[in-house]
Amino acid sequence: MQASLDVADAGYQVYLVERTPWIGGHMSQFDKTFPTNDCAMCTISPKLTEVGQHPAIELITNAEVKEVRGEEGAFHVRVSQKPRYIDEGKCTACDQCAEACRLKDKVFDDFNMGLGSRSACYLAYPQAIPVTYAIDPEHCLMVTRGQCGTMPKCIEACDRQAIDFQQHESSLELEVGAIIVAVGYDIFDPTLKPEYGYGTYKGVISSLEMERLFSPSGPTEGEIIIDGKVPQRFVFIQCVGSRDQTVGNPYCSRVCCMYTAKHAYGIVDRVPGAQVTVCFTDVRAFGKGHEAFYERVQRSGVLYRRGLPSEVFARNGDLVVRGEDTLLGRPYEEAADVVVLACGLRPRRGMQEIAAVLDLAVDENGFLLEEDPHDPVVSGRPGVFFAGCCESPKDITDSVSQASGAAAKALAVISKVHG
Amino acid sequence: MRKRVRVGVYVCHCGRNIAGYIDIPQLVEKLKAVPNVTMVKDDTYMCSDQGQAMIQKDLREGTIDRVIVASCSPTMHERTFRRCVAEEGFNPYLYQQVDIRENCSWVTKDIKEATQKAYAIIKAGVSRVKGLEPLWPTEYSVAPTTLVIGGGIAGITAAIDILEAGFNVILVEREDHLGGWTRRIGKGFPALVPLKAFLQDKLETLESYPQLKVYRSSEVVGLEGFPGNFLATIRQADNTTIEEAIGSIIVATGFVPFDARKKPEYCYGMSEQVITTVEMEELLERGMPSDNGQPKEVAFIQCVGSRDKSIGREYCSRACCMVVAKQALLLKELIPEARISVFYMDIRAFGKGHEECYEKAQRSGVLYIRGNPSEVYKEDDKMVIRYEDTLLGKPQEAKADLVVLAVGMEPAEGTAELIKALRVTGDKDGFFLEAHPKLGPLNTHSDGIFIAGCCQGPKDITDTVAQAHGAAARATLSFHQGRVIKEPIIASVDGEVCSGCRLCEAICSFDALRFDERRKRMTIQEAVCKGCGACAATCPSGAISLKHFRPAQMLSWVEGFLA
Repeated sequence: MQASLDVADAGYQVYLVERTPWIGGHMSQFDKTFPTNDCAMCTISPKLTEVGQHPAIELITNAEVKEVRGEEGAFHVRVSQKPRYIDEGKCTACDQCAEACRLKDKVFDDFNMGLGSRSACYLAYPQAIPVTYAIDPEHCLMVTRGQCGTMPKCIEACDRQAIDFQQHESSLELEVGAIIVAVGYDIFDPTLKPEYGYGTYKGVISSLEMERLFSPSGPTEGEIIIDGKVPQRFVFIQCVGSRDQTVGNPYCSRVCCMYTAKHAYGIVDRVPGAQVTVCFTDVRAFGKGHEAFYERVQRSGVLYRRGLPSEVFARNGDLVVRGEDTLLGRPYEEAADVVVLACGLRPRRGMQEIAAVLDLAVDENGFLLEEDPHDPVVSGRPGVFFAGCCESPKDITDSVSQASGAAAKALAVISKVHG
Repeated sequence: MRKRVRVGVYVCHCGRNIAGYIDIPQLVEKLKAVPNVTMVKDDTYMCSDQGQAMIQKDLREGTIDRVIVASCSPTMHERTFRRCVAEEGFNPYLYQQVDIRENCSWVTKDIKEATQKAYAIIKAGVSRVKGLEPLWPTEYSVAPTTLVIGGGIAGITAAIDILEAGFNVILVEREDHLGGWTRRIGKGFPALVPLKAFLQDKLETLESYPQLKVYRSSEVVGLEGFPGNFLATIRQADNTTIEEAIGSIIVATGFVPFDARKKPEYCYGMSEQVITTVEMEELLERGMPSDNGQPKEVAFIQCVGSRDKSIGREYCSRACCMVVAKQALLLKELIPEARISVFYMDIRAFGKGHEECYEKAQRSGVLYIRGNPSEVYKEDDKMVIRYEDTLLGKPQEAKADLVVLAVGMEPAEGTAELIKALRVTGDKDGFFLEAHPKLGPLNTHSDGIFIAGCCQGPKDITDTVAQAHGAAARATLSFHQGRVIKEPIIASVDGEVCSGCRLCEAICSFDALRFDERRKRMTIQEAVCKGCGACAATCPSGAISLKHFRPAQMLSWVEGFLA
C-alpha cells in the first residue's frame, strides 16, 4: 500500500494487484504494534481508506499476475482475476447476504485463524477495502456444487441484486513501466514442530491466534478466553520455525522477539494475576525504542527464561513445558494453561511460481533474491523492485521504508519514460 | 438580501452499524422539521456509488446549496464526500460531515437515547453548515531540487535516485570527501564482499550527473521558507555562507562511534592492546602485522556503549553483533591458529543472511561466551578479562593479546545543532525523530524534511540503503507533480485588530508567523501554516482566526446543540 501511495502521490497511475478479495495484508490481523502499543487497526485503516479512494490507484483484488513480458519502462502484464460473485458497484456491504447464508457460522474463519466461523459470503473484517463482500469459492454451495437449496438465500436477501453467480474468471492486460513486488509472507506452520503439541492440545496456540484473541474485533472481542476458560499461566516459546535447521529455516524472522514482548505485556495488562514466562535464546530488540520496551516488559513481571523448551505435553489436565534453563544450567518443567508459539515468517506459498512469472531468482531460504546484498530494494531484473517481507522477514517500520524505496526506484523508471 | 440557505441532509445506515442502533425513519421525520433543512434522505451506504450519485443529482437540480452527510467520522469519509460534491462544481468546504457512528451509534446502547443524540448532533451540524464560507486551496510551484545533508552511503543512495528521476541535488558534506563510514569499511556483512567496488560504483554514478552540485567541507546552518520553496544557508570551508533555493531536504548525517573511553573499566586509551571495532576494521584492511606481532588470543566485547543505562545509552546499536561476527571470521582467515572469543549478552543476527553468518563464525571455531565483562586490565604482556559466564553461572577470567571493543553508534557531531537549524525534533537519544514509529520512518514532523540512515537511529548498510531509497521517493513526490497544493483551512490575521503583541509567535510550532516590523502587525506565511489554531486561541484581541473554524462558525455550531 505504501509503495502504491508514493507512486500515486507523485501523479502516476498505479495498478494494485491483490490475491485476496481485500487489501491490508497481515497488519490488519494485528491488535497492537510494538514498541509503542498503538492500535494496529487505527494505524492501518486510514491507509486502507487512502489507497481505496486514491484517484490514481486502481485496485484489482482477487487477482494474480500470470505473465510478464517486455522490459523496464514497457512491461506487458497479464492479470487473471477470479470471480468475486458479488458486483462491486452494487454491493453496499449491508451484511444481509452473510446473515442469510445457509453456511452461516459454519465456514472456517481464516482471518481469525479459525478461532471463529463465518458465512460463505463475507467481509474479512469491518474496515476492509474495498468495502465489498465476497463469496468464498471454496465453501459456497453454489460455487462448489452448483446448487444451494432451490434458490441461494444470499440472492433473496440482497436488495441491490449485487450477487452474481454468472461471473467468470477474467483476464486483464496492463501496460506498466515498473513492477513492485510486495507479496509478503506466510507464518510458519507450527504442526511442523510436533514436539510442541500444536494441533494436539487446545491450549497450544500460534502467535497469530494470540493476536486475534487480543483484538477487540476478534472472535472473543479482546477477551483472553481459550477453550472456554480464562487462563492464568502463559508460556511463550520464541523461535518456532526460526533459527532452526531441523525444519530447514536457519534464518531469524526478525519480528518474533518484539511481538512476543508485546503479547507478554498484553497478558500482564489484561489478565490480572497472570503468570507469564517467555522462553528465548537471544532477545533481538534492535529497532528504535525496542530495547526500552523489552525492559518495560521485564519490569512488568514477565519472566524471561533462556533456553528453548524441548517439548510440551499434557499431565493431569495441565500443559507441561519441559526444557533446560541455560542460565541455571538445569532442566525444568513448568506447568501452563496456554503455550503460545512465536511462529516465524516463511516465504509465502507460491513464491516459486511468482518468481518464475517475474523471471526472478529466489535465495536459499525461498525469499526473493536481490541483486546486491547491500541493497534490498533492487531485484536482478531491471524495472522490478522489492518491498517488504517477500525479500526477507522484517517489521512494519522496515517494510514501510523499503516500500518507499521501491517507489523511488519505480518513479525513476517511469519519469524517464514520460520524459 | 441574503438568500435563505437550503440544507440537504443525508443519513447513512452504514449497514447495521448505524441503522442497528438508531431509529432511522423517526430521525428522518424529525430532521424534516429543522429550519433550513429542505431535503432529508437516507441510504444503506452513503459512501457507495449510488449514495454519492444521489447527492450529485440533488446538487445538479439546484434544490440544495449545503450538504450534510450524517455517517462516520470525518477521518473516514469527509474526503470522499468533499470530492463527491466538488465533482458537481460545488465548493467542498460548504460540505459538512456529521459523525453519528463513532460518536453515537457505536457508543450508545439505548436506541431511543441514540436516536435523540443523533438528532442533536445533526441539528448542530445544520446550524454550523449555514455559516460556512467557500474556500479554495492554493497551489505553489516547487523548486525541483533536494538538499541532501551528508555524503555517506545514505546520502549518496538517495541523491542517485533523485538525479535518476530527473531532478537536481545539492549535496552538502562536512568532510572534504564523500563516502562516509562506508569508505572505512573493508568488507560488508553478511556476504563478506569488499565494499570498495559497491561504493565506487555509486560514487561514479552520482558524479556522472550534471544536475549534481556538491559542497564539501560545508555545513547547513539555516533554513527558511516552506516545502517546495526552502532557502537553505550553507557555510562553506572558507566560512563564507551561500544560500540555495531547494524544494525538499534529506538529512543523512549518520553517526559517530561511541567513545570507548567513557567505559574506563575496559582500559581503552590506556593500553594499545585494547582497540575498537573501528580500528580493527583498519587493521583488517591494512593487513595484520606478521609473525610475533600477530595476536594469538583475541577477545571481542559486544555492546560497548549500547544497551547500557549506566552511561545513558539504553538502545541497541543494531550492527555491532554482525560487525564482530564478520571481523572474527576475517581474522580467523588471516590467523587460522588464533583463539577468538566473543563476549555477548544476546546475539542479534536478524537480517537476511545474518544468522547464517553468525553460525559460520561459530563453526569456524570462534567461541561465543555469554556474559558482559566487568573489567579488563593488564597483567604482564596480556590483557585479562574478568567476566561472569552466565551460562555456567560462574565468575571467570580470560587472557588475550588483543581486546576489541564493539563500539555502538551515537548521533553524529553537530546533530543537535542541525535539528535546531532545521526546526525539527530529536528523540530522547539525540537522533532525529521520525514522524511515526511505524508508518513514518522517513518523515520528520516538518513537511518537506526527510531522514535516511543512522541519523534516525543505528542501522546497518542494507537497512540504510533501503531507507535512503525511501527518503528519495518522499522528497520528490511534489517534484513529479511540479506543485504543492495547500489546504485552505489555515489561520488568518485581521490587520485592523492585531495589536502586534507577538504572543502568537512563540506558540506556533511551525514557524508560520512573520512579524511585519514596518506596520507592527503579525502576518501568516500561508504556505507554512498547518491550521492547528494555536495562534488563534492565544491571540488576546481575537485578531487571528482559523478559516473554517472561525468563532462565529464555532458558536453557531454550539448554539445548534443548545437550541
